[in-house]
This record gives sequence, C-alpha cells and structure tokens, in this order.
Amino acid sequence: MTVLRLALLILVALVVQVTVFVDLRFWGVAPELLVLLAVLVGYLAGPRTGPTIAFVIGLLWDVYLPSPLGLSAIVFALVAYVVAAGGAELFSDSKAQLVIIVALGTVGALAGYALLGEVMGQRGLVDMEMLRVAVVAALLNMVLTPLVRPLMVWAIRPRLATG
Amino acid sequence: MALAQRQGRVRHRLILLTLLAITFLTVDLRGFDTVNQAQGLLRDFLHPVNSLASTLFSPVGDIWNSLFSYAELEAENVALREQLDALRGTSLRSEAETAAYQRLLEALDLPYAPDLETVAARVERGPVGNFASDVVTINKGQRDGIEPGMTVVTKAGLVGRVARVDGVTSTVQLLSDPDLVVGVRLVSTNDVGLGHAVRGEPNTFIINQGPNWPSIEDTASFPDVGSAVVTDADSRYTADVPIGRVVQVRPASDELSLEVLVQLANDVEDLAFVSVLLTEQSNDPPTGAVVPSTSVPLDLDPELLDSLEPADPQ
Repeated sequence: MTVLRLALLILVALVVQVTVFVDLRFWGVAPELLVLLAVLVGYLAGPRTGPTIAFVIGLLWDVYLPSPLGLSAIVFALVAYVVAAGGAELFSDSKAQLVIIVALGTVGALAGYALLGEVMGQRGLVDMEMLRVAVVAALLNMVLTPLVRPLMVWAIRPRLATG
Repeated sequence: MALAQRQGRVRHRLILLTLLAITFLTVDLRGFDTVNQAQGLLRDFLHPVNSLASTLFSPVGDIWNSLFSYAELEAENVALREQLDALRGTSLRSEAETAAYQRLLEALDLPYAPDLETVAARVERGPVGNFASDVVTINKGQRDGIEPGMTVVTKAGLVGRVARVDGVTSTVQLLSDPDLVVGVRLVSTNDVGLGHAVRGEPNTFIINQGPNWPSIEDTASFPDVGSAVVTDADSRYTADVPIGRVVQVRPASDELSLEVLVQLANDVEDLAFVSVLLTEQSNDPPTGAVVPSTSVPLDLDPELLDSLEPADPQ
C-alpha cells in the first residue's frame, strides 16, 4: 500500500508540474513540486529509503525534461541523502525548520542540476538567471511545504511507523 | 556497531544509485533507441491524464493571467497576431521568390515548393520546468507522420525543428534556442551563412559565418537593412522558409568580419498553432567550405565548427 500511495502522490505531482505549473508561474518561475517531494521524502523517510524514492522521482521528471535521463535522478537522490543525513543530526522535527530545509534543498537541487547539466553539455544553465530561479523556486516551495508535507506523511506513514 | 553497519548500507545504496544514474546518462547520451522509446511510451501513457488535467486547470491559468490584465486581450491578440503573421509571411515569401535566387533555383530545376504537405498542430504546453525555455510540446506525433528533424513553421516563417517525437505528441526546439544553428540565405545578396539566436534576446538572430562570408571591408556585399532572410537550400531545413528581416549590419567584435542582426518574423515565445512540414530532413549539421568569423561565440557548437572544412584559398 505504501508503494501505491507513493506512486499516486508522485504521479499527481508530476501531472500538476507539467500542466498547472507550466502556466502558473510567479515572476516567470514555476514551483519545483518534484524537488519538494524529493526533499520531503529525504527528511521524512530517512537516509535508507529517502534517496531511493527521490531517485525514482527524479527519473520520472527526467522523462519530461530535455536534459539526459538520470540527471535529475542523481541530483534528487543526493539532495535527499544530504537532507536525511543532515536533518537527523542537525535539526529537531519542527515544521519551521522543515521549511528552511526545503528552501535549502530546492536551491541545492536546482544548482546541482544546472552544474551537472553544464558538465553534461547542456548550455546556458549556470548564470545569474539560475540564481534568481533557484531563489524564487525555493520561496515557492517553502509556501507549498505545509500543503505537501501531510500528503507525503500519508504516503509513507507505515514506513515512518516502522522507523 | 549496528549504526556503522547501517551507515555503510546507506552509502552502498547511494553508490549504487550513482552508478545507476551514470548508466542511464551514458545510455541516453549515446542515443539508444530503446531508452528513448521507453520514455516516449511513458509520456504517451500519461498523455490522456495530462490532457485532462490541462483542460481542467486551464480556467485556473486564465484566472491567473486575468489577474495581470491579460485575459480580456487574449482573444483579440491571437486574431491580430495571426493576421500580422500572414502579412509578414506573404511579404517575406514574395521577396524570396522574386529575388535572383529564385531564378537560380528554377535554372537548377529545384523550384520552391509552396504546396508542401503539412500537419497543423496546436501548441499543447510551453516549456516544462525552469530550465528548458526554448521548447514547446505540440499535439501531433509519430502517428501523424512527424519525424525528428522536420521543419516547424507558422504563416510568418520558421519556428524551429522537431527535436523529439512520441506517439501522439512532439517536442519542438524553438528558433530562440541559441544552440540551434540554422543555415540561412540573405535574399538581397544571396550570401549563405550560419546563424543562431542570441541568448537572452529570443527575437534576435545573428549571422556571422558562412562560405565566402564577406569581410567588413567588402561593403558591396552588405545586405540591405530590411531585406529578408530565409532558410538555405543546403541547410537542415526546408528551403526558403522566411526567418526574418535584417535590422543591422555591423562589424563583429574583432572589427574584421561581418555580423548581420536579424529580427525574427515569428514571436516564438507566444505560439498557439504551428505547421510541421512533412519533408525528410537531414539530422546532420550543414557542411561545406565555410569561413567562420573569428567572432564566433564560444557557446557555438564546437562539433559543428569541427565538421566544417577549411575555406578554399581561391
């Protein structure tokens, strides 16, 4: 059931990202819903399963992006790992802290995607515009965190209960 | 001890994921068809869901746009734009057809074919995510006869080329992408060159290299400001598709070679409908004797430059 719930949540997020957030942009920037899921899953599911689920989320996102398959997947997995490892040691489970972690995770994921993308031959990703996009997307993801967190908790609840 | 073991397992899993990602990246970058087909199948599978969601959420988008005083002018804008595009396209095409090059085409028995088979398509969505600004998805795909590399146009002229084809949708790389290099012909001089969009200025196109490309001292070879620029017959695109008009002829940064700035005929950032020309296109970059300008931007495709033969000293 956990897998089904997670699959449903990821699928809905993907559909919303490629439909609603194509038009609904704030200062020309769309929220990064799939990055938000990756950060949340890292934070809530921990370092054992978080990066693996984040990898799958990234892989699905890669299917829709013009960048090569696997780019978002590895970035999401690494961000989820850092959040999971760092989150457990540095932060207590507080909603305010989670919002900050989401912001940092979003900036990290977008910067990582842009940097790795440049290495892979995608051009024009690393510039001042990237910085602006990362900051605005981080702010938008912060706003979305209180809405998406309960959904992620619902999706991975049994996993949380078993630790 | 148990903690160390657990951390070790986590690291192993992360290494495994990294290796898996590297495998995916390698397979994708080397263009394995199976991976591309699998991605296409997944997109096709989700297409009905995406279409339904787009239909359901389109009022949300309209409301959002109306907040910025856009919606009430939208319909009027679309109608006016189509009218303007048709006028621009007619003007550019007629100029191309009446120029000396047209006579040359006829002499070579390569008449310009205005009645090419086309597929009309609706732009289903703009760029997805925050880093792919120069692509759109259209609602026609392999089932409609579309293949990668085909030329995409509107009545005003060139829009781009088909980059990726799924069963029911296709992704179009827009002319505003600076990485998209186009072989062009300056109608007023018949000079042939290579051009690309300018990063950050999606409606501006720059031509700064080509075979026998005139130097800055060769003033007689300067194209007229306002003259048309069309796709070249030897380019990867259907010949004589209008691109835009020359707005400025200036020396490049090296002060030796020529740069031609072109205002694109199409506003590729705001497309509603396009046509795909169903003609087989080469996926190879243009080849031949080319004199590249020394001011070629560093971001121009190095593989393309390598593929160009050195200029004939004659």
